[in-house]
Amino acid sequence: MLWLTWRQHRTQILVTGGLLLALGLLLLVSGLRATAYISEHAPSGCPGPAAACSGVNSTIYDDYYHPVFMVFGLLPLVGSALVGTFWGAPLLAAEFERGTNALAWTQSVSPRRWLLAKLGLLGGMVVVAALVLSAMISAWLPVFHGAVGDKTLEPGTFTITGVVPAAWWLFAFVLGAAAGTLFRRTLAAMAVTVALIALTIPVVFFSRDSYAEPVRTVTTGWTALYDRGGSLVRDAWVTPAGQEVVTLPDGVCPPPPGVDARSERAQLLKDGCLIGEGYRKAVYHHPPERFWRFQWTETGILLTGALALGGLAVTRTLRRRN
Amino acid sequence: MTAPAALEATGLGRRYRRTWALRDCSVAVPSGRVAALVGPNGAGKTTLLHLAVGMLAPTTGEVRIFGRPVRESMERIAFLAQSKPLYAGFRVAEMLRFGRELNPRWDDAAARRRLAELGIPLERRVGGLSGGQRTQVALTVALAKRPDLLVLDEPLADLDPLARDDVMRGLMAAVAETGLTVLLSSHVVSELEGVCDWLVVVNGGRVQVSGDIDELVAGHRLLTGPAETADALAARLPVISRGGAGRQATLLVRDATPPLDPRWTARPVNLEETVLAYLRAPDQATLPRPSLASAR
Repeated sequence: MLWLTWRQHRTQILVTGGLLLALGLLLLVSGLRATAYISEHAPSGCPGPAAACSGVNSTIYDDYYHPVFMVFGLLPLVGSALVGTFWGAPLLAAEFERGTNALAWTQSVSPRRWLLAKLGLLGGMVVVAALVLSAMISAWLPVFHGAVGDKTLEPGTFTITGVVPAAWWLFAFVLGAAAGTLFRRTLAAMAVTVALIALTIPVVFFSRDSYAEPVRTVTTGWTALYDRGGSLVRDAWVTPAGQEVVTLPDGVCPPPPGVDARSERAQLLKDGCLIGEGYRKAVYHHPPERFWRFQWTETGILLTGALALGGLAVTRTLRRRN
Repeated sequence: MTAPAALEATGLGRRYRRTWALRDCSVAVPSGRVAALVGPNGAGKTTLLHLAVGMLAPTTGEVRIFGRPVRESMERIAFLAQSKPLYAGFRVAEMLRFGRELNPRWDDAAARRRLAELGIPLERRVGGLSGGQRTQVALTVALAKRPDLLVLDEPLADLDPLARDDVMRGLMAAVAETGLTVLLSSHVVSELEGVCDWLVVVNGGRVQVSGDIDELVAGHRLLTGPAETADALAARLPVISRGGAGRQATLLVRDATPPLDPRWTARPVNLEETVLAYLRAPDQATLPRPSLASAR
C-alpha cells in the first residue's frame, strides 16, 4: 500500500513539498533581510514600544512584515482549500469516476485496509506538512516581535502557528475524502469541499471567543492590555460608583468647543477627561497565556469533525451501495 | 461429500431503493467450469457478478465461493469489470507492481511472459494502449493473481473480432493450464458456443436457466407439425415457446423423446435457439435438481 499510495498521489506530495520549500525560503530571506535592516538602521533600544522607535517600527512593518504576512494571512483559507481539493477530494471520487474502484477493491487487500492505509498515510503527510509550515512561521515571527508587538492570539497569527494548522489541514483532507464518497465526481467533490471549508472557517473563527470565559480587567491603562497580544472580546465603562454602563450619562465630559466630536482627538480628550472624573474601563479579554488552551480547544473541535467525516467516508465506502 | 461449488448463491437478492435488480436467485457454478451468464441488457447480470465479487453487499441471501463467504475469499477471486478499469497514468509495468503489492499469490513471471507473448511493452502507458491491449493487460493482472475463480463482466464488448478471438484464446489457454473456474457474462449468445460448458440465464432479475450446456441443448427439441393438433401436443409436453404461421406450428419443448404423432417432425436445437426461447418466455424456467447444483 505504501508504494501504491506514493504512486497515485506523488503529484500532490511533490507539489506540496515544493510549495513548503518555497515558503520556507521566502520566510528565511525575509527574516534575514529584516534582521540585517534592524542591525544597520535601528537606533539603540529599537525596535520596541518606545516612542522614538515608531519610525523604524513602521518601516519594518510596512517593508518586511506586512508583505510576507499578506501571503500567510491567506493560508488558513487557501491552504485548507488546496489540501481539501487536491489531497482529499480525488482520493475516492477519482476511483469512482474512472471505475477503478472495481479494480482496487477486488484485490486480496481488503477495501477496509486499502482505505485506512490511504487515509492514514496521506493524512499523516498532511499533518506533518502543516506542522512544518507552522514551525517555520513560528521561527520567523520573533524577528518582528519588537516592531510589530505580540500577536499571539490575533486570528491571523493564531491560525498559522501551533498545532491548529495541522488540525485544519487534516479536517480539510478528510472533508474532501468524504465529499468524494457522496458525489463520486472529482470536480463536484472539489467544489463541495471548497464551499464547505469556506463555510466552516468563519463559523470557527467567530466561535473562538467562546472557547473560554473571558477575563474581566478593570483598568485605566487599557492600551497596554491591548498590546500584550491577547484577544479583546468587548469593553465597557465603569462609573466611579463601580457600576458598569453601556452608555455614558448625558453631560459627562462633553467635547471641548472647537473640536469635531467625531475626531480621534476628541475621543482621546474624552477618554482622558473620563479617567480624571474617576471612570475606568472594564475590558473583557483572553490573555495571551491562553494560547495553548485555545490551540488545543480548536484542534479538538476540528479533529472531532474530521473523525465524524472520516467515519462517514469509511462506512459509505465499505457499505458498497454502488 | 462433494467438493463445494466454485460459486453458490442462495436466495440472493439486491434492491436499489425500490426496485429489485436481482431477486431470490439460487444458482451454482461447479468448480472447473467455464460458465456463461446470459441475459438481456438490464437483466441483473452485472448485479449478480458484483455480488459475487463483493463489490455489492446483498439485500437478501448470500454468496459462497468454494464454500466460504465472499469477504474471506478475495485472494481466490479475480474480477474484470466491464470498463476494464486500469490506472490510465500507470505504465504497464506499474500495473504489474500494483498487482504484486496487493496480492500475496501474485505470479509476476507469468504476467511478464504473457505480456511479452502478446507484444505489449512494459514501458507503455496504459492510457496509450488500444482497446484490445487494455483488455489483455487487465486480463493479465486478473490471471497473475492466480485466482481459482475468474469473474468477467462483458469481457468482449467493444472489441473488434480479432481482439475478441485473441482475448478468448488467452482465456482458454489459462483455463487449460490452471483449471480455474470462469464465470463470464455476455448478451451475445453466439460468442459463447464452443467456449463455455455451463449456462446461467437471468431475465428480469430472476434466474431462468442454470445447467450444463450439452445436457441443456440435448434435452430440448424443435417440433414442427399441423397447427390444429398443436394444443393437444402442448398439453402433454413442457413447451418453452410456440411459433409458426398459418397451418404450420413449431414448438420448442423440453423433451428429448421423439413425438408419437407421425404428422410431427422433431429436430435438435442449438444453444442460441434454446436461450432465445427461454428469454421470450420469462415464466418458463429450467433449474437444476439439487444434485446437479453441487456435483461435479
